[in-house]
Amino acid sequence: MNRFWFFSFLILLVVGILTGILLTRIQVFSAPEQPIAYSHKTHIEAGIQCLYCHSSPLRSDLAGIPSVKKCMGCHNVIANDKPEVQELAGYWEREEPIPWVRVSSQPEFIYFSHLPHLGTGLSCETCHGDIGQMTVTRPVVKMDMGWCLDCHLKEPQPKATRLADCLACHK
Amino acid sequence: MSKKLTRRDFIKIAAGATAATGLAPVARRIVIEPFVQPPEETLPGQATWYASTCRQCPAGCGIVVRTINGRAKKIEGNPLHPLNQGKLCARGQAGLQVLYNPDRLRNAVRQSGGRGSREYEPLYWSEALDLLAEKVSSLGHPDRMAFLGGLMPDHLYQLTNSLLTALGTAPPIIYDLQCTLEGRRPATQLSQTFFGTADLPVYDIAMSDVVFSFGANLFETWMSPVAQSVALGSMRQGKLSGRGLIVQFEPRLSATGASADEWIPVRPGAEGYVALAIGRIIVEERLGHVGSHRDNAVLYQNVDVREMSAASEVSVDTLRRLAQAFADADRAVAIPGGYLSGQHNGFASMLAVQALNRIVAQIGRQGGVFLSTPAPTVALRSKPEVNTLSDVRNLIKRMNAGEVDLLLIHGTNPLYELPAALGFAEAIKHVPYVVSFSPFVDETAVWADLILSDHTYLESWGYQVPSPGTDRPVISSQQPVVNPLYDTRSTAQVLIELAARLGGRAVEAIPWADEESYLQELVTELYGSSLGAFDARTPPGFWTLWRQYGGWWSEKEIRQEPETTDIVQKPLPMVDPQFDGDPEEYPFHLYPYSSVALTDGRGANQPWLQETPDPMTTVQWGIWVELNPQTAEELGVEDDDIVLVESPYGTLEVSVFVYPGIRPDVVAIPIGQGHQDYGRFAQAVTGSNPLALLAPITDPDTESLAWGATRVRLSPTGRKKKLARLESIDGQGRESIG
Repeated sequence: MNRFWFFSFLILLVVGILTGILLTRIQVFSAPEQPIAYSHKTHIEAGIQCLYCHSSPLRSDLAGIPSVKKCMGCHNVIANDKPEVQELAGYWEREEPIPWVRVSSQPEFIYFSHLPHLGTGLSCETCHGDIGQMTVTRPVVKMDMGWCLDCHLKEPQPKATRLADCLACHK
Repeated sequence: MSKKLTRRDFIKIAAGATAATGLAPVARRIVIEPFVQPPEETLPGQATWYASTCRQCPAGCGIVVRTINGRAKKIEGNPLHPLNQGKLCARGQAGLQVLYNPDRLRNAVRQSGGRGSREYEPLYWSEALDLLAEKVSSLGHPDRMAFLGGLMPDHLYQLTNSLLTALGTAPPIIYDLQCTLEGRRPATQLSQTFFGTADLPVYDIAMSDVVFSFGANLFETWMSPVAQSVALGSMRQGKLSGRGLIVQFEPRLSATGASADEWIPVRPGAEGYVALAIGRIIVEERLGHVGSHRDNAVLYQNVDVREMSAASEVSVDTLRRLAQAFADADRAVAIPGGYLSGQHNGFASMLAVQALNRIVAQIGRQGGVFLSTPAPTVALRSKPEVNTLSDVRNLIKRMNAGEVDLLLIHGTNPLYELPAALGFAEAIKHVPYVVSFSPFVDETAVWADLILSDHTYLESWGYQVPSPGTDRPVISSQQPVVNPLYDTRSTAQVLIELAARLGGRAVEAIPWADEESYLQELVTELYGSSLGAFDARTPPGFWTLWRQYGGWWSEKEIRQEPETTDIVQKPLPMVDPQFDGDPEEYPFHLYPYSSVALTDGRGANQPWLQETPDPMTTVQWGIWVELNPQTAEELGVEDDDIVLVESPYGTLEVSVFVYPGIRPDVVAIPIGQGHQDYGRFAQAVTGSNPLALLAPITDPDTESLAWGATRVRLSPTGRKKKLARLESIDGQGRESIG
């Protein structure tokens, strides 16, 4: 009887782990719920460049999330009848920051900077996918070490060696 | 599997494992909050450094604060600032923990359960200000209000002073423990007597070859410790004439004493005698190279070197050797420190020490004594002057007599900082309404009806003329480096808004719309000055550069050279030290010393400072009493034994630290612990406040607290409480073996 339980346990554990992995994959590529239903598609179709709102990747480590003030720069008059824009105006009125949920992230122990990546001529879409087609923003790749090295190792030598050095990314 | 697994357990484990694996990424949900209105000078992900002024002690060092995305991350010294030249002490570094302290008040509050209840109810600022305005305007007579302050930023002092004057109330009483321990008031009086001006002296340690420090803990907390430490570096390594000689005269070996070349453990209160004897020897034996000593002979005509030697317990040979070293040096300076001023004969001792500079002609000479250069405009010269203990005593008397209906308290914590024997705790109960401006609920704020919590200094505007200063005029600016974290309000702003509510003469006296416009008006007076280290083309441009540089200072060295008054034509006074407590019954001198990390107790709510090992004992998070090994043996106690320390005024139980660097007749306790309130970190260290032991006696010449003039007795309790020490005292770890 004891043996039966033991094997059942093993099988269920394996199933559990597999389910976990599956769930993790789903989680990684799922779109987090945002405080305002913001659509990148609408904005890109209106002809706005990424760098208009995410203005600092050419000067800083971070691309930057636009301030509420920047949103209101247009939405004072544009589409202010839409409920989402009215929600935005609510934050502006209350002088509250919008608690956006991060879509793409790197762990704390990684040093990552946008600046050199854009400097080599990469476009935003290389890593962030076709954001212009997304009504709900979600990650398109799992930004793990294998994925980073995929590109880093394709660089010509000696750059590839330098870019594959642990301390190039790990703090 | 030896243990039987039940079906229930099995399902639990399986479900738990599945959930844990599956839910892992959910826990990594990260919220990113952008600015509502981004400051124009910030870039996401890039550090922005703001220049400001440190307020962890009254020295006024320039700081630069690294901020990222609107959050302060690191404080360093401002490299351009002439006072601290890019250096900063541990207290300055720990300033972030004032800003981010979890025990900060987040609103204006009223004690809902009555005073002392520690139950608070938040108030809207408009309500709180209405309440304050109502209390002020309903006073029977303006004299029935009093303002007690610590050494506050200069602009706040001016606003307070103007408002109180307009209302017909007496000017603020400025008094805090740090000023008392460093002897700020007696030092000012010494300058007044010796040089005829109230500017504090600047001792040119950097260029000096021989420094005699009489109880000045130059490299810890006394006056401007960072500037003095920078000067020490220059003295030791910056000159061609060698390392120089530093002699420290004090009954306990402090960290400054440990940096000195020689430590002379003088009998407490006899430091002045040592100075007199050295002076007498120099004059009598015509030592040194200044030529005739005829003018100075009168100073020492009553001094007998042998008597002085016996009274101070420093041998005549040592005195002669020191006199020779002092007189023969190219440049020598003698510094009267805080421990001197804390004696009953403090002022006489300080005069004797300052006279040494006179007889070797080091007044106004490189490597000698200068005076702090005052600010270049009249408006900027108005700064807080420390009051005497007698003024505080008077206030207590008036409070007890029911003559004070409204007491305002800013930047000082009298319930903790004053000797308990003065009875402030009882007196405050006789005041019908007490308003505190403290950002923390400290011992005094507990007895306030209303707390109008001020911003912390990293969120505040201001400026300060460092005093003592440096080799040139300096005005150090203070600006917010982050937006205020909570709904607190700067006291300057509160006063401006109070004046607006009161109307009439109050608003005429301080008519500004807000603190910033007041400062801007005051500071742009400097615009166009030819002395400044930077040039601005317009007054608003000046205001910008003022904030970017962290203040205004002269490009070139401008020293104020003192002139001696006719004090030097009379024999120097010789006053016997007096101590409170019968020597038979209370055999030891109590030396309550300023802690290098906690200062006068204001640092006790910052865990980084609590964790900083004391430089001499390496104790962390603790309070102790230092005993000479011989004293410890006589009492039959050893390290970590708890002893009862008793003075005629109070008692204290504390662990023993056996310390060879102290006279056998002296016991020393660091100040700073023993908080009943002031937040979780301050209260984490159990123990009592050593100030409870102090006799409320003053030096009659300066009316300052003689904090080093109390006698105590010690008795073992038979109990033990281990101190957390980082290192053993012999550096070998031998004490901890066996």
